[in-house]
Amino acid sequence: MTTPLLDVRDLTVTINRDGRPITALDKVSFSVNPGEVLGVVGESGAGKSITGAAIIDLLVPPLKRTGGTISLNGDRLDQLSPKEMRRVRGGKIGFIFQDPMTSLNPVITIGRQLCDAIETHLRLGGNETKRRALDWIARVGLPNPDVQFKRYPHQLSGGMRQRIVIALALCANPSLVIADEPTTALDVSVQAHILQLMRDLHRESEVSMMLITHDLGVIAKMADRVAVLYAGRVAEISPVAELFANPSHPYTRGLIRATPMPTADGGVQLDQIPGAMPGLGAVPPGCAFNPRCSRAQSDCRSVVPPLVTQESSAFSCFHPLERDVA
Amino acid sequence: MTSQTPFLVLDHVSKVYRRNQSLIERIRKMEEGGTKAVSDVSLVISEGETVGLVGESGCGKSTLARLVSGLMAPTQGDIVFRKDPAGKTPRLQMIFQDPYSSLNGRWTIEDIIAEPIKVHRLRRGRAAIRARVDELLVQVGLSPTDAEKYPQEFSGGQRQRISIARALAGEPQFLILDEPTSALDVSVQAQILNLLRDLQKNLGLTSLFITHNLSVVRIMADRIGVMYLGELVEEASAEQLFRKPKHPYTRLLIDAAPNMDTSDRSLHPIAGELPNPAFPPAGCRFHTRCPFAQDVCRTAAPPRKATPEGGMFRCHFDLDLSKEVKTPPLAKVKTA
Amino acid sequence: MTSVVNTPSAVRPRRSRLSKLFHAVCYAPGATVCAIVILLMFVYAFVTPLFSQNPFEFAGMSVLDSFIPPMWMEEGMSDFPLGTDDQGRNLLTAMAYGMRTSIVVGILSVVIGLVLGGGLGLIAGFVGGKVDAFIMRVADVQLAYPALLLAMIIDGAARAALGAERNVTTAITIVVLSIGIAFWVQYARTIRSSVMIERDQDYVSAARITGRSNLSIIALHILPNVMAPVLVIATINLGIAIITEATLSFLGIGIPVTTPSLGTLIRNGNNFLQSGEWWISVWPCLVLVLFVVSVNILGDHLRDVYNPRLRGRS
Repeated sequence: MTTPLLDVRDLTVTINRDGRPITALDKVSFSVNPGEVLGVVGESGAGKSITGAAIIDLLVPPLKRTGGTISLNGDRLDQLSPKEMRRVRGGKIGFIFQDPMTSLNPVITIGRQLCDAIETHLRLGGNETKRRALDWIARVGLPNPDVQFKRYPHQLSGGMRQRIVIALALCANPSLVIADEPTTALDVSVQAHILQLMRDLHRESEVSMMLITHDLGVIAKMADRVAVLYAGRVAEISPVAELFANPSHPYTRGLIRATPMPTADGGVQLDQIPGAMPGLGAVPPGCAFNPRCSRAQSDCRSVVPPLVTQESSAFSCFHPLERDVA
Repeated sequence: MTSQTPFLVLDHVSKVYRRNQSLIERIRKMEEGGTKAVSDVSLVISEGETVGLVGESGCGKSTLARLVSGLMAPTQGDIVFRKDPAGKTPRLQMIFQDPYSSLNGRWTIEDIIAEPIKVHRLRRGRAAIRARVDELLVQVGLSPTDAEKYPQEFSGGQRQRISIARALAGEPQFLILDEPTSALDVSVQAQILNLLRDLQKNLGLTSLFITHNLSVVRIMADRIGVMYLGELVEEASAEQLFRKPKHPYTRLLIDAAPNMDTSDRSLHPIAGELPNPAFPPAGCRFHTRCPFAQDVCRTAAPPRKATPEGGMFRCHFDLDLSKEVKTPPLAKVKTA
Repeated sequence: MTSVVNTPSAVRPRRSRLSKLFHAVCYAPGATVCAIVILLMFVYAFVTPLFSQNPFEFAGMSVLDSFIPPMWMEEGMSDFPLGTDDQGRNLLTAMAYGMRTSIVVGILSVVIGLVLGGGLGLIAGFVGGKVDAFIMRVADVQLAYPALLLAMIIDGAARAALGAERNVTTAITIVVLSIGIAFWVQYARTIRSSVMIERDQDYVSAARITGRSNLSIIALHILPNVMAPVLVIATINLGIAIITEATLSFLGIGIPVTTPSLGTLIRNGNNFLQSGEWWISVWPCLVLVLFVVSVNILGDHLRDVYNPRLRGRS
């Protein structure tokens, strides 16, 4: 049993609306093992991005962390002072945002931004810092690092900007990288490049990764284990092959069957989950998925199902789907 | 089927977005440059058929949708609809990508859906119009009680249903769908796609379905056109396109989207980056990224070739691309 | 078949606009107070003259009653609750006549500015290109002049042109026109920028594909969506217009002193401020402030009420 690198227990985030607290994340627990890629999937509003932001204490008010523990390598992140947290952010934990245009400062050259990040966390001194920055520009696959070093973000294409964001996230040798929808804003052909780059860098540096996305295809190719979020709760955590072959939670199966895929036969009717995910503050009693679930029974409507661990996977469902024995 | 007069013919259609010229350029009367967003596209749509258009950003698919809808006039070429015996062009409707900006926030749902009915005078009298609105709301999976509400009281998926109801209210003979599900979540997208497919089947609509998602277009379309930098590079039946693509770009695009197969985790990026559409490469526009590119591709634009199955493609070679293209593993991806 | 179709319409009762407005006002007590204040002032300004002698006509003046202070002061008289001015006019009634003029001038000039600026802004935003450039350059030139100065120039030019033929009606018309013209730029700019945003929205494209003409797209789709910010400006401008009229009249180039307006009353009272008869100018000042503040607060709230985009968010 490996000790996890990142361990999140009962993480709860509330949003204060008109003086009334509304639960946005409800006791979310998961862990990331060293060198592992944990995929976090869910639809918009499921709480994926809030989870990522809560870990590095970047929640935007009125969102507020109100409970739970977060430990990285045994250190409690939730008890750090804002100053100590700043050192963790970008140092021990790197962050890749969805939109590369807003996560880079538009008026500073990319070389300067890389140097700043390296200098802040590694304190190497001028020449060494610059050498590292040039090295990183080359490592993320941009030609002519010397030229790129002096360029501004708007002079780069979307794919190249996202490469720089990745370099920024990794340049301080973090032990964990949180990537929040890193390829959503990109075209299909560019997306594959960025995923390939992330995979290569992950193999080289053995950094752990939390990959937040809504795209099951990205999850299937990149993740080792997958956490499925629904309405601010963990529905299921499973190894990736098992999740796609034998999902336990009805929502997971519904999500997989609702995704149109190139390999699917063109004539097949897409399965659909009826209804929509409940909005903030409108989560029904019991299992949050019960109004849309074909297997829901009376217990699902009254009691919140706990996250039960079974062999390699965990799920929160009273009536899980049977495993295919074959 | 082929003996029918085609419903819609696009004949060598081009659209150039002119760029703002500087004062000096204007004084010197320099030739106006511009981005050729759509370049020499020819396409025929038969009655009752759904034609899909796929491509990445900047390929001109949305511009083409606007040209077909009449919101813009083409710079060159003709867009001709078949006229009915009375000499009238068919009624059009369009469903847009953004479910937020496509509905007037100051109108009630009833007013929004009733607009095409009133403009085309499809029903007379308040009671008849209201009955029709209720009927349409039920048809797209909403409730007649929703008619009183305003668009902002609905989620993205519900708004897209309202857009669909509005489009159907105009009893269109031709429907243009511009990325109708790309702003939606997976489970809602499936609902909308199923709804659209049912409507296609029951109403016998002729439509143009535009998307960047190959899987979606495969489900929705009878025939598919693939666009790259303003050009239609391949066009074939949905089956044919996925089974035996003829253009390297089609093949690479199919492979690039990650599928849900966890046993083969290889990724298939297309080499290089999308060139700036304002300055497309000479010769074949895809040569900068094509693994099969040779000298001829860099100088000569490939001819339009017809396939025996009734499709067409633009490539100098007649490649067999029915299998995945094995590109060497890209240890270091080099960008152009 | 018909019964099936008819039932759904029966189950949706329609809430009237009035009841919607009523509900909205109930949620905003501050705006309600302002609305009541404005309503009372309108009643005061338009009903009082029906029952009283116009103090600006000869029969309404009585030099014997001049400079009587408010009734609660020594020498005060209950016949003149707020006192009288130098000509012995009852200030309570004089202010009603003054407010009537001020409100009429204010509303008319706002309407002129709104129609002129709104129309030009709509054209500039919708048509774009050279028409837009021309209208907006004219607006830029006008912006270089302060509104008050502009009103004075227009006023002076009109006086010079009309010469001796002026009477009270033409004087008021000139004031209304000059204030209205001085404020069109603000409406035009606001409407233009909103129109340029709305013009490219998909719902406009949808209406166009459906076959709506440009004119009906502007009237039915764009105008309702760009009116909210303009109505707020218009209410605030109603206050500014009244102040501008008061200023012009105070400076002696607006409405002649023989016609009551808040401005002429203040101007008249100003002469006696130093000599202790403060009430002659302070009452009209207070009424002016109260009215303008109420109009502004109400304007802000009306924007929220009439903007359904802000509704349904909670």
